[in-house]
Amino acid sequence: MSYVLGLRCRECGREYPKDVLFVCEYCFGSLEVDYDYSKIKKSFTKEALKDRPKTMWRYKELLPIDKEPAVGIASGFTPLIKANNLAKVLGVKELYLKDDSVNHPTLSFKDRVVSVAVSKAKEFGFDTVACASTGNLANSVSAQAALCGLRAFIFIPADLEAGKVVASLIYNPYLIGIEGNYDEVNRLCSEIASKYRWAFVNINIRPYYAEGSKSMGYEIAEQLDWKLPKHIVVPSAGGSLITKIWKSFKELEKLGFVDKVATKVYCAQGQGCAPIVTAIKEKSDVIRPVKPKTIAKSLAIGNPADGYYAVDTVRKSKGWAEEASDEEIIEAIKLLAKAEGIFTETAGGVTLAVTKKLIESKVIPSDESIVICITGNGLKTQEVVTKSLPKLIKIKPNLAGFEEHFKNGEKQKIAQNKVIEYYI
Amino acid sequence: MAKRVIKLTFPQDLVKEPLTFQMAKKYNILPNIRRAKVTETVGELVLELEGKEQDLDKGIEFLKKAGVIIDSIVGDILE
Repeated sequence: MSYVLGLRCRECGREYPKDVLFVCEYCFGSLEVDYDYSKIKKSFTKEALKDRPKTMWRYKELLPIDKEPAVGIASGFTPLIKANNLAKVLGVKELYLKDDSVNHPTLSFKDRVVSVAVSKAKEFGFDTVACASTGNLANSVSAQAALCGLRAFIFIPADLEAGKVVASLIYNPYLIGIEGNYDEVNRLCSEIASKYRWAFVNINIRPYYAEGSKSMGYEIAEQLDWKLPKHIVVPSAGGSLITKIWKSFKELEKLGFVDKVATKVYCAQGQGCAPIVTAIKEKSDVIRPVKPKTIAKSLAIGNPADGYYAVDTVRKSKGWAEEASDEEIIEAIKLLAKAEGIFTETAGGVTLAVTKKLIESKVIPSDESIVICITGNGLKTQEVVTKSLPKLIKIKPNLAGFEEHFKNGEKQKIAQNKVIEYYI
Repeated sequence: MAKRVIKLTFPQDLVKEPLTFQMAKKYNILPNIRRAKVTETVGELVLELEGKEQDLDKGIEFLKKAGVIIDSIVGDILE
């Protein structure tokens, strides 16, 4: 059963049918899915949720697919962890981590959006899905296309690290490395998308794809027993996640699940690719595109498609924005691992580093609830932390060898503790 | 004839310049304004351009050289 009324232009409000459309043919504004909330209210109740599976599909009325999902059956409902150790380090009272580093099947929040996009592509009758990506999106599209037997074309920059290539190639997509710079890769992919009738998940399926992000917001609300946090820090690349988390909270308010939304939303980006943060800080309505230069590759979008809406969301919520340097990102990745036993990728490092800065500058008060969105897994970006970790201790295979190094190791550990005592 | 959709951002010092008209005249391009926003500090224009491929390239280059920021309307898609 579908609860989708159709698509609506975010700029001029013009309505469109539920079809493969992504920009308004009049003003070229982006399109968004519109729902029949009065109909949703009848079946989507707290009571009804009790018996539903603990996946993102428990909120199916608020996701834009008409049939049962074709992929991503186990995606979503990732842990919301009360991070007491980290709270102590940061000097705050109530801190939670929404941990999408363990999302199914490919360990990032992209599994949410791709589950919706590939299911929708299947509903529309496409035989091929495609995307242009440097990492998480490529992995998820490759895996989920394999699962439902769709042909997948994945476009990547030709010089992408071998580890990232393997994490897509294993699912046997058509993986195409484009020899060119960032702008050239973008331009070619736009041309391919307009020429071939494929489901390009983040272009012509984007209105549906982006809705998948809302599930993260619903889950946070439900896992906090329908009490929204006072503050939420969200990493931004294209700017879609932050707008959709806000939309999810407003929908829950409309449906009577939560009180009036009073959550302040904060945008986190890496220094060297922070066009949204810059616009917020400069109180500007215009996003100035940048050439990305940050180790947070998964956030490196110089001209964010939803940048304006991300700025608007932060303003409406009375939140703020901050950026993190490469060093701060690495420190934050290590801090999260040491304090909470979670290994996140660079985007997670950005979000935690930004949270730390916002707390230190008292933009986020220490006595109110805070949620940090961790969107990806550290196993995917190991190269960025390798240099800043201690070397492996090698010993001969006998007890004396171990004990000798154990004594030295202890000394080393004490020395190391001094360096990092600021963590715990 | 080819068509292209672009977003133009005019910095403050260029808001008063008739650059779109100059481009249209010089390169024989038909511009169709689909969306516009002009504030004290910035001007934003979404245009559909119609003309010969080569002329479109030249016209867009002319605007870039003048200091106008040219973007695709869908933003970057490599993510």
